[in-house]
Amino acid sequence: MVSPSQVTPSDVRERLLRATLACVERWGLTKTSVEDIAREAGCSRATVYRHFPGGREELVRATVEWEVDRFFRRIEARIAEQPDLASKLRVGLVFGHRAIREHELLQRVLRTEPDALLEELSQVVPTIEQLMRTYLLALLRAERLQLGIDVAAAADYLMRLFLSYLGSPGRWDLTDDAEVDRLVRTQFLAGIISG
Amino acid sequence: MTGGDHQLEERICEAAVRCIARTGLRRTTLDDVALEAGCSRASIYRVFPGGKDRLWVAALEREVAALEQRVATALADADGLAETLTAAIVETARALAGHDALRHLLEHEPGVVLPHLSFDGLGPVLERAVAFLAPWLECHLDPRSAAEAAEWVARLIVLYGADAHAPYDLTDPGDVRRLVATHLIPGLVPRHEVARHEQEHVNVLD
Repeated sequence: MVSPSQVTPSDVRERLLRATLACVERWGLTKTSVEDIAREAGCSRATVYRHFPGGREELVRATVEWEVDRFFRRIEARIAEQPDLASKLRVGLVFGHRAIREHELLQRVLRTEPDALLEELSQVVPTIEQLMRTYLLALLRAERLQLGIDVAAAADYLMRLFLSYLGSPGRWDLTDDAEVDRLVRTQFLAGIISG
Repeated sequence: MTGGDHQLEERICEAAVRCIARTGLRRTTLDDVALEAGCSRASIYRVFPGGKDRLWVAALEREVAALEQRVATALADADGLAETLTAAIVETARALAGHDALRHLLEHEPGVVLPHLSFDGLGPVLERAVAFLAPWLECHLDPRSAAEAAEWVARLIVLYGADAHAPYDLTDPGDVRRLVATHLIPGLVPRHEVARHEQEHVNVLD
């Protein structure tokens, strides 16, 4: 048993984020209320507002942020072992694309409330983009690059293309390793890596 | 449909796009469109029996066709692969940047546009771009590469076009030439042929 004095603010925060996720699963993004979340988390509305003074809106934003952050951490952990940029991109695309397909809550809200979800995501994505640029920049500096390449613009290019394919594979079958390999060698890296 | 109805349909679509540019999609009513087009609500229902939804679809289709027409004109003057890719990107980006209704929606009602620019919703947009652009590329590339290149171009327009802070300004021929030479040409043609394509790309589109 944990006594109340041992419950830290971050525990409560995470409990509220999990409760919001559960409510969104049940009621949807726009219909979930602070009342629902408080009941799901087993706390009072006052507690919710103490942690999230902006109420419903702030909680939903924070929950989307939290879930997106967890999603990209899973990709990062998955590609950590890969030896170079090309294999990290390859494994990241295959794994990330599958994770999006299999994310039931994401897929459901994309069907039922695409406009609300995408507006939320568009607020969260710039932070992810910045983290990815920094991450890719460090990887690019360890590679042999084409002469005269602008490393910052190249990192930005890879970030944009990676995110685009993750959500919208278009004509490419991202479950096929050979096809993903060809995609990475051509569109992603042909102009960047010297070889 | 009679010739008169066709003209009326055009007029109503144009009016709808002007209304959206001014007040957005959600707040535009059929009365607004009727007033703007100088016709009655009944006329709109006669031409678009489904009402608002049918009208939006027809107006969008008309805008896309106009965009394709404009880009086709630019492509007719383009020589070589690099120049064709550059012309397609610059002309599309300029048309979209100057499209008041699209700008209004992106700024004030992103929820209307974003579902067509992300996740599975982007698929049909990419396919439409491939159907239009791939034939223009087939004199330089095999059919599969032409389709992939067309989709790649459409993706880049979505990725960079909507972002004012992007390192490439797609309405600027110099920037686009750099983007094409840096990423597209090396990704599309064998390494030993790249020099030739870069050579062709000099003195283009100034």
